[in-house]
Amino acid sequence: MTYFARKLGFFLATLWAVVTLNFLIPRLQPGDPAEIMVKRLAGKDAALDQAQVEAMRAMLGTPTDSLWHQYVSYLTELVHGNFGLSYTYYPFPVTEVIGQAFWWTVVLVTIAQVLSFVGGVVLGAYAAWRRNSRLDSVVTLGSTFLGTLQPFWIGLLLLYVFGYSLGWFPTSGGYEEATPGWNWQFIQEAVSHSFLPALALLIVTPIGWILGMRNTMIMNLGEDYIRLAKAKGLPDRDVALKYAARNALLPSVTGFALALGGVLGGAILVETVFDYPGLGRLMGEAVEQKDYPLLQALMLLTTVGVLVANLAADLLYGVLDPRARRAEG
Amino acid sequence: MTLLDVRDLSVRYEPKASRPLDAVQGVSFSIEPGEFVGLIGESGSGKTTLGTALLRLLQRPGRISGGSIQFNGTDITDLQEDELRALRWRDLSTVFQSSMNSLNPVVRVEAQFRDAIEQHSSLRGEAVTRRIRELFDMVIIDPKFMTAFPHELSGGMRQRVNLALALALDPKFILLDEPTTGLDVVVQHSILENVRRLQAEQGFAVLFISHDIGTVLDLSDRILVMYAGRIVEDQSAGALLREPLHPYTKGLLGSYGDPRDETVKITYVPGRPPDLSRTMVGCRFAPRCPERIQVCLEHDPPLVPLNGGRVACHVAVLQRGEDGAENFGEPKRGFEGPQFVKTADESRSALAGEVVLSVENVSKVFEQRRGFTVTRTEAVSNVSFELRRGEVTALVGQSGSGKSTLAKMITGVETPTEGRIVFHGPDGDKLVSGFKGRALRAYRSDVQMVFQDPYSSINPAKRLGYVLSRPLVNYQGLKGEELRERVKELLERVALTPAERFINRYGYELSGGQRQRVIIAKALAVEPEIIVADEPISSLDVSIRAEILELLNDLVKENDVGILYITHDLLSARMLSDEVIVLNGGKVVEKGATLGVIRDPKDDYTRSLLDAIPNPF
Repeated sequence: MTYFARKLGFFLATLWAVVTLNFLIPRLQPGDPAEIMVKRLAGKDAALDQAQVEAMRAMLGTPTDSLWHQYVSYLTELVHGNFGLSYTYYPFPVTEVIGQAFWWTVVLVTIAQVLSFVGGVVLGAYAAWRRNSRLDSVVTLGSTFLGTLQPFWIGLLLLYVFGYSLGWFPTSGGYEEATPGWNWQFIQEAVSHSFLPALALLIVTPIGWILGMRNTMIMNLGEDYIRLAKAKGLPDRDVALKYAARNALLPSVTGFALALGGVLGGAILVETVFDYPGLGRLMGEAVEQKDYPLLQALMLLTTVGVLVANLAADLLYGVLDPRARRAEG
Repeated sequence: MTLLDVRDLSVRYEPKASRPLDAVQGVSFSIEPGEFVGLIGESGSGKTTLGTALLRLLQRPGRISGGSIQFNGTDITDLQEDELRALRWRDLSTVFQSSMNSLNPVVRVEAQFRDAIEQHSSLRGEAVTRRIRELFDMVIIDPKFMTAFPHELSGGMRQRVNLALALALDPKFILLDEPTTGLDVVVQHSILENVRRLQAEQGFAVLFISHDIGTVLDLSDRILVMYAGRIVEDQSAGALLREPLHPYTKGLLGSYGDPRDETVKITYVPGRPPDLSRTMVGCRFAPRCPERIQVCLEHDPPLVPLNGGRVACHVAVLQRGEDGAENFGEPKRGFEGPQFVKTADESRSALAGEVVLSVENVSKVFEQRRGFTVTRTEAVSNVSFELRRGEVTALVGQSGSGKSTLAKMITGVETPTEGRIVFHGPDGDKLVSGFKGRALRAYRSDVQMVFQDPYSSINPAKRLGYVLSRPLVNYQGLKGEELRERVKELLERVALTPAERFINRYGYELSGGQRQRVIIAKALAVEPEIIVADEPISSLDVSIRAEILELLNDLVKENDVGILYITHDLLSARMLSDEVIVLNGGKVVEKGATLGVIRDPKDDYTRSLLDAIPNPF
């Protein structure tokens, strides 16, 4: 159990560090944010109008307390989920803006990742078990070729063929006329809008899993415990699954958990290509519009996502590989 | 009825990138129920390939290319995998070489017994658990380890578990492929005793593959000797020891000596086994054979019955034929090849040499920090000894005894926690502690290491000339013609002659013995005062170990260096060293002139090490 407790401890310590850095870094930047905002609104060469600066300060809220007090109130607001107002979507609070994009991305990218992982690992394991067969050659060569392509480029291709030329799928957005919620029309629209982005991800993402799994498994097939399992006269299926694949899966599990952590960052390029209302597109917008409150919240969300995924990977690895538990525990 | 009957079995490897190779060529033998048969040969002789073929576990590019295997009346040569599966483990089981990797690392030990037992018997649930407990008792392991993961067991325990697993279904035949290689001598000894006892009780037949003729002679009823893919001799263990027929067998036997003798002689077989991917005329052993006659170079000797056994040797057959002794000389018992002799007198004079290194009350404590707790392990505890010029001190102990830690402190890699190590060099005394950077480099020109594994200590991408020139350039600043001359000198010093033939070759083209010579030459390049040799022969074939021992011994005498010889093997310690220090749990338990310690051990641990040396004589 110490293994799990230690991993949790590390997680909490890192989480605290991330939150604190997220607080400190903007404060280390030189200049008065209010002045910068006013300058940007008024144009570079215009003289600074103190009244405007005051107004901006009043709107943004000016920290006057000591850094410590600011930190404490930052943490309090954080706990209450208050990230301030978005500049781009003023006067909506950041949480609301993110909340709208959140599920679009989480559903799309999670489904794409899970399917990619499961499909990739199964295909990789099968290719390794039947290595040098025709199927193995097709899978390996195909993966190597597709692996050189980028998801957004494939996205463009899909858009052109299935969106514009054939018109089977809508070309942008998340839904058309339906009211978002649990109604049939909305679900139908959401699925048809998500189909192409998901496909773009599904063509490329499994490749890493396929090749990784195939290589680890081929290496594992040379191990003595595999030879012994065969000598024991176990059915091929047992040797392949319980002995070879079970061991070959270990490195992939860590990779998978990390990939899931990246989900919150969204698939920026793919979402942009499909004009999909997810977190990735939102992040792109926030960067473009210099929407600091939104950006800060998104950054925090992404890093926390990666951290949680890391923790999950560690814990899962501890369950799957008894050696990890002892080596450090 | 014969249990296993192998007829003209051949195994061919057909790799895509190189020439096909016949690893096993027309091998015939049989094993009776309950018989314990040993199979010996050096690496590359095809013994493991033969074992794998018998279990029908060959993998591409290897395949059975001819002959047949009959097991218990069934021809299993071409049996389909489905039919074979019924036979596997229930009738034929195995213990593989590496105890580390033959258990699934992520599954509890119990489950790995259970799947095999449930696959082949009607036992289920509690009955299986009872059977596993019984098996654990047989191999003397506490059944509480049933629920352990493989990594929670020591190497010796793991191999016992493997043995128990092999016995799970009362098989008729067990293949043991070097089951104890890599384990400590004492552990090795007790596992093999266990095997022999269980075999006597339960009556299964065994084919025991090993490169170590000592253990094979100790255990087996009958012995097959394999050389270059063929069986060259097949005799009962007693007869083989009394009157070995094939010169190669004599060579293997010659690599053993009795460490208690005043003068120990061991022989070695010069040269290396033939490349099996090329066709050969005549006897395969002829190029290395001291007894060869003209016919050996022209005709391949068949394996024929002789003296109640079988042998594939023209000379052995001719000498024992009509008027054989007159025409071809009396049969010889020993191997008339090069030999290495160590006398007790040599040691007595060596121990009078000048002290070059003194280790004074040295201890080493390792602290391991884990969160807020610190674990202290005392790896070496209060060790003192002296190393002299022209002398070899052996540091003997099993793994974990602290011998490697001691070596690290002596080579200046680690600093002693207590006590001191003083090097009495040509430039006066120097206190040895964990050196870094330039200081370590300077110390390296006085103290050099020779490692265990000659296969990974030579840069495979460079020619030998380059490999050997590096220390000369770095430490002595030699260049041009002078450098080349010195490299040649070094190659000749370690008997890689003529030097011109070796200077442009790559490490991987050499045999294990030759590689170890290159490593020694590299160590000699800086003209060190001390050489620390960490198990320099344990990864070499027995037939060539003596040649490396001889080389080291010559160095001591001629170059006046001191050698610290680290080993777990008292026999080789006796061959090389003048003084021996036995380490157990970081402490010196016994110290003294080697012959004295071996003849009259005072400590129980030394005694158990001595008992573990297989002694066929």
